[in-house]
Amino acid sequence: MRNDPFFPKGLLWGILAAMILAAGAAIVIKQAQKSRENLPVLATVPEFELLKSDSSTFNSSDMRGKIFVLDFIFTSCPGACPVMSAKMSALYQYYAHSDKVQFISISVDPERDTPEVLREYAKKQGVTDDRWIFLHGPVEEVKRISEKGFYLAAENLPGGHSTKFVLIDENGQIRAYYDALNDSIMSLLKTQLTALARKLI
Amino acid sequence: MRLFKSFALLSTFATYFLIFTGGLVRVSGAGLGCPDWPKCFGRWIPPVSLKQLPTEFDPATFNFTLAWIEYINRLIGVLVGLLILGTAILALIYFRKNARILVASLAAALLVAFQGWQGSQVVASELEPFIVSIHTITAFVIISLLIYIVQQVHLIENPTVLINARYPRGSAVLVGLLWLFTIVQVLFGARVRSAIEVEEINYPLYTAREWLVRIGSVDDIHMVLGIFLTVAAAVTGLYIIKKSKTTPSALIQAVWSMLFILCVQIVFGFVLMFAGLPSLMRLFHLWVASLLIGILLFMFTVIKSGEETAYAK
Repeated sequence: MRNDPFFPKGLLWGILAAMILAAGAAIVIKQAQKSRENLPVLATVPEFELLKSDSSTFNSSDMRGKIFVLDFIFTSCPGACPVMSAKMSALYQYYAHSDKVQFISISVDPERDTPEVLREYAKKQGVTDDRWIFLHGPVEEVKRISEKGFYLAAENLPGGHSTKFVLIDENGQIRAYYDALNDSIMSLLKTQLTALARKLI
Repeated sequence: MRLFKSFALLSTFATYFLIFTGGLVRVSGAGLGCPDWPKCFGRWIPPVSLKQLPTEFDPATFNFTLAWIEYINRLIGVLVGLLILGTAILALIYFRKNARILVASLAAALLVAFQGWQGSQVVASELEPFIVSIHTITAFVIISLLIYIVQQVHLIENPTVLINARYPRGSAVLVGLLWLFTIVQVLFGARVRSAIEVEEINYPLYTAREWLVRIGSVDDIHMVLGIFLTVAAAVTGLYIIKKSKTTPSALIQAVWSMLFILCVQIVFGFVLMFAGLPSLMRLFHLWVASLLIGILLFMFTVIKSGEETAYAK
C-alpha cells in the first residue's frame, strides 16, 4: 500500500524539527557574534595634534570613520619596540586588503626621531602607504597624550613607554588594550579588530 | 535485540544532532572557544567567570559564550561516543554471528574514538580547514554505518517487509551511483567551504562576494554538479517508483524526501551565493547534505535487500 507520495508524514516532522533547530542555531550564532563584538567603550581618544613623518599635521579628529591600532615607540629602542613594530608590521600586512584599518605609532623620543629617521624606520618596517603613520611632537605633549589621553604609562621617556596596543573604533573611542608582547593576545586583537571593521564594510 | 535496536536508533539520531552542533560550533566561530583539549581553560567544566580562570590563562582570551558553545558540543560528542560504544558492546553480545551488524558496529565505535582524537587535532591545528573537513567527513561515515546497522536489524525483525517488492533491474546500482555522486558533491562542498575559510582568514575584511570571486570556479562546479545531481536523482527515483511493484511506502517517502532535500539544497546554495554566505545557511547546507547521504544509503539498502530476497526466492 502506498502512502500519499506528495505529502509524506516523515517529511512534515522533519521540516518541523529543522525549524526548531534553525531557531536555536540562530540564537546561538547571534550570541556568539555579540560576544565577539561586545567590547566596552573605555574612553574617547583625546584631542591632539602631532606631525607626521612628512611634516604634515595629524589631528585626532582625522581618526573618525576608520578603525585604528595605536602604540608608542621610539626607533632606537633596543628592547620591546622592535617586537612591537614587528607585530604592528604583521597587522599592517595582514589588513593590506582594506583601508578601513589604519595604524599609528607615536614616537616618545622626538629629539632623535626626526622626520627623516621616522621615514627610514617606516621603510624598514615595510610601510608603503598611508595606512601606517608615524607621529612625533614635543615630548611633554606626547607624555600628556599617553598618560592623560590613553591612560598608558609614560615615565622616564623614552624608555618608560607602554608596550600596549590601543584599539580605537570608527567613532574615536578606545575599545581595548592589548599587550603587544603576548602572542595569544595578538590573535584576540585580530578577531576583535576584524569584528569592529566588518561593520564598516 | 530490541535494546540493541533502541541503542542503534538513538545513536543515529544523536549523531545527526552532533553533526548539527559541530557545524554550529564552526559557523559561530566557537571552534577555539576552549583553547585546550580535552579540558577547557584547564578545567573539566569551563569557567563561568574570570574568577574561576586558572592563572596560566590570559583573562583577555576567555570568552564565556564561545567556551560554553564548544564545551556543550564536546559533551554531546562524549554522549554520542558512549551510545555508539554501547551499540558495539550489544552487537558483541547479540550479533556475534551476524558479520554485517558486528563489523559495522565495531567500525562505528572505532571511528567515533578516532573522531574524538580528531577533535583534539582540530583544536591543535587552530581549525586548519583541511583537518576540519576530515572531521566532518568522518562524521558522515559514522552516520552511514549507523543507518546501515538500524536497517539490518529492522530487516531481521521484519523479514517479510520486503518480500513482495520487485524493482527494475539495476535499481540498487543506480541508487549506489547516486550515493557516490552525492559523496563527490559533498567533497566539492567541503572544498568550497575550506577555500572560503582560507579567504576569510587571509582577507577578513573582504565581502562575501569578493571571497567567492577569489576562490575561482570551484563553487561554480559545485553548483552545476548540484543541479545535475538533482536531475539524476529525480529521473532515477521516479523511474524506480514507476517501474517497481508493491514498493514499500518507506522507499516512496525516501524518494520524495530526497528530491525535496535536493531542491532545498539548490535554494540554500543560491542564497549562500547571493546573500553574503549567511552563517545559518552554511550550517544547514552541510547538515542537510548529511541527511541526504543517510536517505540514499537507506534507499540503497532497502532495494539491495529486496533484490537479494527476490533472487533467494
